[in-house]
Amino acid sequence: MPFARPTIRIGVTGLARAGKTAMLTSMAANLLALGAGLPALPALSQRLQGRGIRVSVAPAGADPIPRFDYPAHLAALAADPPRWPARTDAVSLLALDVEIGRAGLAAALPPTAFRLELVDYPGEWLLDLPLLEQGFPTWSAAALARLQGLEIAAPFLGFVQGMPAQAAADETLAATGHALYRALLTRLRDECGLALLQPGRFLMPPPGPAPPWMAFFPLPGRSRLASLLADRYDRYRDSARRELRAPGFGRIDRLVVLADVLGALHAGPAAFADAAAALDAAARALRWSNVAVPAWLAQLVPALGGIRRVAFAAAKSDHVAERQRANLKSLVARLTQTQARGPTAAFALASVRCTEDIVWQLEGHPISAVRGRLIGADRLARSYPGEVPSDPPDAGFWTHPFLSLPDFEPLRLPLGGRGGVPHIRLDELLVFLLEDLLP
Amino acid sequence: MSETRTRPRLEIETQLAPRLEPVPVVLEAPPSTGPGTLTLLGGGVAILVLGLAALGVGNFVAAQFERAAPLGWLTAAVAVAGFGLIAAAIRRELRGLLALRTVDRLRADLADPARARAAARMWVESLSEGATLLPALAAIQDRDATLALLRAGPIATLRARADALGRTAALQIFAVTAAIPWPAFDGLLVAWRGIRLVREVAELHGMRPGLLGTLGLLRRTALSAAGVVATDLAADTLARAALSNPLLQHVAGDVAGAGVAARRMVVLARATALACSPV
Ligand SMILES: Nc1nc2c(ncn2[C@@H]2O[C@H](COP(=O)(O)OP(=O)(O)O)[C@@H](O)[C@H]2O)c(=O)[nH]1
Ligand SMILES: [Mg+2]
Repeated sequence: MPFARPTIRIGVTGLARAGKTAMLTSMAANLLALGAGLPALPALSQRLQGRGIRVSVAPAGADPIPRFDYPAHLAALAADPPRWPARTDAVSLLALDVEIGRAGLAAALPPTAFRLELVDYPGEWLLDLPLLEQGFPTWSAAALARLQGLEIAAPFLGFVQGMPAQAAADETLAATGHALYRALLTRLRDECGLALLQPGRFLMPPPGPAPPWMAFFPLPGRSRLASLLADRYDRYRDSARRELRAPGFGRIDRLVVLADVLGALHAGPAAFADAAAALDAAARALRWSNVAVPAWLAQLVPALGGIRRVAFAAAKSDHVAERQRANLKSLVARLTQTQARGPTAAFALASVRCTEDIVWQLEGHPISAVRGRLIGADRLARSYPGEVPSDPPDAGFWTHPFLSLPDFEPLRLPLGGRGGVPHIRLDELLVFLLEDLLP
Repeated sequence: MSETRTRPRLEIETQLAPRLEPVPVVLEAPPSTGPGTLTLLGGGVAILVLGLAALGVGNFVAAQFERAAPLGWLTAAVAVAGFGLIAAAIRRELRGLLALRTVDRLRADLADPARARAAARMWVESLSEGATLLPALAAIQDRDATLALLRAGPIATLRARADALGRTAALQIFAVTAAIPWPAFDGLLVAWRGIRLVREVAELHGMRPGLLGTLGLLRRTALSAAGVVATDLAADTLARAALSNPLLQHVAGDVAGAGVAARRMVVLARATALACSPV
């Protein structure tokens, strides 16, 4: 009776390269290993207090969301030499069936059973949530204001400023402006490391051919071209709104927001402020997701309440040593202070651990650092990328460099992957997400 | 802080290194519920046997003194020697058990940020080559760095030595099972060599477990084995490396199961090392 059990849907979201695919793969592999009796998730084992747990991959149901290709991603990490999972873009879903036994006299009763669905949800799409409350003129003004003073934005800004006030609703103009704007967003992401780039679906288009109303760009004024763009913008918002109710996102009831905070520390003050703004947008959007339902009703009827638990996590924290991970965690907590209704928590974790902590004698001081093998190398590399601040960094912080994160190779997977994936604090994250389901 | 002033950097080490392995996890032992029935029974029997024997011997010595003083002294000397040996054995057992407790205490201390540094210092001092590590240890203030240092230094050395012991045992098992014509003895041989291996690794960690101590150690080893089995692959490679001798490879085909038993020795050595190690 596969549909008799309740379904828990965990969304894992974050911008491209934040580590969503790695996290889904690691969560699944470690849960399966735990189900096989291996000590892959100690915090969760401890929480279960000796109750048995069984985990299996659920058969693909009739869900329209594409499957997450778990076997291929795990095989890549387990291979020798290992590879990182191939880049994935669209939404995908992996379902696990979980059964937790009961303790004591109740052991004779049937176990608690639920289906755990893990959804890989592009974070770019979450960035569109604030748009739902903004009209085209407001959005245009805000988007253009953010571009002011950026050198690489000059061609696009030139195009917009050169536009005659009475510009006609011409398709060529719309297409040209759109192409320029899209190219600019891509460069802002790839070259400047910026994150708060809207509309998100320009950078991460949904699967399938792009509909014609996608071709818009921010433009001030009341020309006929502007009103054409405004119409398209509204169509875009409608489609985004519909998607929120669609199976992909609509039924997510717990969410992990992954952010590459260490990467942002490297990219510099502008990129960091931008990443913080993106995290904040996600946090605010989550309040929005429940706006139609009063709090008291959401509490009584959870299915109406949308997302009930949110974890904000700094990914790839194996790039720094344990002491710095504590700083990283409090930094994430400071960046995501929200008045969200449900429980929220901050984490600094690594889904796929690549390094071990070392003490490095540098300039006469012992420094907590890490070391691991770089992809394709045969020697260990020692890395101390810099000090991680525990509060949002001030001007003084930016006078010291923070190195880019080297491409480390994952630790050897126990039992070729059947023993789980080495991780940092993924077990604590799972305990937080599943808290109300655990004994 | 000092670390803000240190320039960040990335450096490649000079030695070739294999792919890194995860640190095996040790499961917490379930809380003990006091001495079990068997322990109580065994204790009672031992007290009765020893106590009654002591009383009997006492009477006998007194009787001998009544016959003749020299005879009495001689009997007393024999009695004292005999019971002395028994007492020494008991003392050794208790010390072995106590050593296991010490590991537990050390673990608890190292887990506590306030006491970790002092505990680490004490443990390092008790190691034969510990002195070289003391200056580095003194320079470190926080617990995580202390643990990292212990793991990279003495723990890694101990683990390497335990691996070597495991490899030797594996080789012996392999060679002897190949040579012994009675397959029925294989199981016995593996069990005996396994227990010896557990004691060897314990001695490496500064413990000399007696009979009871060995039993306790075996229980812990079983717990840590789950973690080690999870890192199976590493043990596999080690065992294969140990058996890579061409002559052994030649006979390998003849001895069904010896390869498996040899691999188990390597796992056992690692599991024991984990059970005896404070970090
Ligand atoms: N060191 C380390 N690197 C990671 C970890 N997770 C992801 N990465 C790196 O981040 C890249 C992107 O990860 P991926 O899961 O594909 O991101 P996605 O685009 O959000 O699905 C990977 O190729 C890895 O190089 C981690 O836990 N530790
Ligand atoms: Mg992906």
